[in-house]
Amino acid sequence: MAVSAETTRAWSRRRPLSRARVVRASVPYWLLLPVVVVLGAILGYPIYSLVRLSFQHYQLFELIRHKGQYIGLKNFGSVLHDPVFWHTALRTVIFTIANVGLTIGIGMLLALLFVRISTWVRVLLTAGLVLVWAMPPVVAVQIFNWMTNPQNGVLNYALTQAHFGDYFQHDWMGSTLSQLGLVTALIVWGALPFVAITLYAALSQVPNELIEAAEIDGARSLRVFFDVTVPIIRPVLLILTSLSILWDFGVFTQPYLLIGQPHIHPGNYLMGIYLFEEGYVKTDFGRGAAISILMLAMVAVMSVAYVRRMLKVGDVE
Amino acid sequence: MRLRVVAAATLAVLLGVAAATASAAGQRAAAGKLTVWLQVDAQSGWPDLVAAANQQFQQDHPGTTVDVQYQNWGDHLQKFDAALAGGGGPDVIEMGNTEMTKYMAAGAFADLTSLKSTFPNSSNWLAGLAKSGNYGGKTFGVPYYAGSRVVTYRTDVWKKAGIKGAPTSLGQFTTDLQRLAKAGSGTKGFSPVYIAGTDWYFAMAFVYDYGGSIAYTHAHKWVGNLDSKNSIAGLTAFKNFWRAASKATPTSDENNPAPYTVFSQGGAGSIIGPGWFSCCTGAKYKGVTAQFVMPSHTPGQAMPGFLGGSDLAVPITSKQTALAADWIKDFTSTSSEKGLQAKGNIPNATSLLGNSVNERAASRSWFVPAAKHWVDVENGNILRNMLAQILKGKLTVAQAASSASDNITSVLNQP
Repeated sequence: MAVSAETTRAWSRRRPLSRARVVRASVPYWLLLPVVVVLGAILGYPIYSLVRLSFQHYQLFELIRHKGQYIGLKNFGSVLHDPVFWHTALRTVIFTIANVGLTIGIGMLLALLFVRISTWVRVLLTAGLVLVWAMPPVVAVQIFNWMTNPQNGVLNYALTQAHFGDYFQHDWMGSTLSQLGLVTALIVWGALPFVAITLYAALSQVPNELIEAAEIDGARSLRVFFDVTVPIIRPVLLILTSLSILWDFGVFTQPYLLIGQPHIHPGNYLMGIYLFEEGYVKTDFGRGAAISILMLAMVAVMSVAYVRRMLKVGDVE
Repeated sequence: MRLRVVAAATLAVLLGVAAATASAAGQRAAAGKLTVWLQVDAQSGWPDLVAAANQQFQQDHPGTTVDVQYQNWGDHLQKFDAALAGGGGPDVIEMGNTEMTKYMAAGAFADLTSLKSTFPNSSNWLAGLAKSGNYGGKTFGVPYYAGSRVVTYRTDVWKKAGIKGAPTSLGQFTTDLQRLAKAGSGTKGFSPVYIAGTDWYFAMAFVYDYGGSIAYTHAHKWVGNLDSKNSIAGLTAFKNFWRAASKATPTSDENNPAPYTVFSQGGAGSIIGPGWFSCCTGAKYKGVTAQFVMPSHTPGQAMPGFLGGSDLAVPITSKQTALAADWIKDFTSTSSEKGLQAKGNIPNATSLLGNSVNERAASRSWFVPAAKHWVDVENGNILRNMLAQILKGKLTVAQAASSASDNITSVLNQP
């Protein structure tokens, strides 16, 4: 009671507003203003333009004249009636699940390995991972291209020498599955360093006492991992998975360059490539804008579903 | 706190200043400069001709510098689109002859009809190339050069196989393949004729040779024609020839690896491609490299080859059309075209034609449908995908051709 009376008094004492006070109170907002302006300029305006573009007929003809024609929802209608869109969406969802699953799974195993190994091995391994991380995607694509070259690639040579069969002139770009498999290998390889090092950092936050206590209670290591370790590192896991979904769903550079323009056709599109082909190559910018908004919606649905599921799992415990 | 306010304000002012100076710098750079976009072919093949044209231009227009920027075939159109939208584009642009129609239809280029007679040799321009720069009766593109496709072969392999001279019919060439394969059997993966699986330029030559075509117009609509009887006969002949001739993978394309690389590594008895392929057959085989015209299935005739080529155009966004046209005149002058001819290209005018293998091959040629959306068929890899399916044996020729043909019909008839 007394405390609450005290607070009330303190609050009422503050009430009279002097000019100086208003100015002081508004300082935080003034400080925020530049950020808001900059964000509005570099994020808000482009998004506004994108949405506007998606309602317009805007092709090469309109591009040259800088003026589109409003056609309502026709772009969205034409995309949603395009069977290629639905096939691509399904292919991309499966591709994303495979890539994110492999990235997080292998990243987790690497992080767990980090905890167990001696310092100098860890330093060596970390250095290796950072080197992978430092490699620009375009360079990595070129190296993968060389390694899988049907004529002179080291992969075919090594597989043949190791008696896995005759891989002379085996074409790794021969089927969609093989193409996307190679892209998956490249993406997971490139994403592992960030995921593994971040997860290792998270693992080091797990108190040893909790693990020891669980072990004393007779829990096996798998049980300890899922019931003690995972709940503690869940926030990090959540962020890493969400980010990976975002990156892998919209990935463009690696598949476009690795598969190569001459081999890209509607039968192996991923969403990023579909957007590029429809929007830029066919110069139908309005339709491209509609596709990117639909992509945004799909990523949002996937992420929200995932985050909710993770939070629900947290509630039960 | 005041310090932070000051810092934020300073940052805002700096950003504003940076933005203002950036745009000012952009405007300043445009004055007194002519920007030219040429494809990398000129950079690697004939930089001397570019330099000569620039020199001539600068003599006539002192004070105007020429900035030649070399572009790649893969992304130059996307860069051009961005320039059309945002400004800062070229004053002269080289366009592939299959790329012209879409841009002419959209009004991307300045109308050069009134200047046509002032371009060197314009009354004798190669008909096929001039057509690619013409839309609705107006001239938008100036023919730059053309190229036909020929067979580049190793005379030592031919000799070893006991074959005398160039084949005069497709049938004879096919019979020779076995002996050629035997002559090269010492090399693993040796192709008597290296042909990339999805080399649609060569595959379509068979289609046109057998009387087929890619598409035709009927009642103002495009109709895909690869599923016609003649086209299927051509595609089947291609499939049979490829299977006997080439060890390339069915999905390979003619850019990666470059056929002349395979040739220079000893992996091929012959290759198909532009006449200038003779440039790069490698030191080891330089002395035994020769060329002939791909024979038709009709004995004694040439197989119709794809007439590739480039035009030069002035984008509508250029504010210096007259200057740009003057540079084009310098670059397509008779001496410049003769220089291109000496490098193994076909010059842009009939009055300059000689009797090289390249020029003889151009006697029968085919060209892509002159449709606004043709370039979408090309970039959508419809033909490549069809060829890969045929060569992998996943679909019959008729099945693959019919699906590709439907696809082409729908793409070409887009509004």
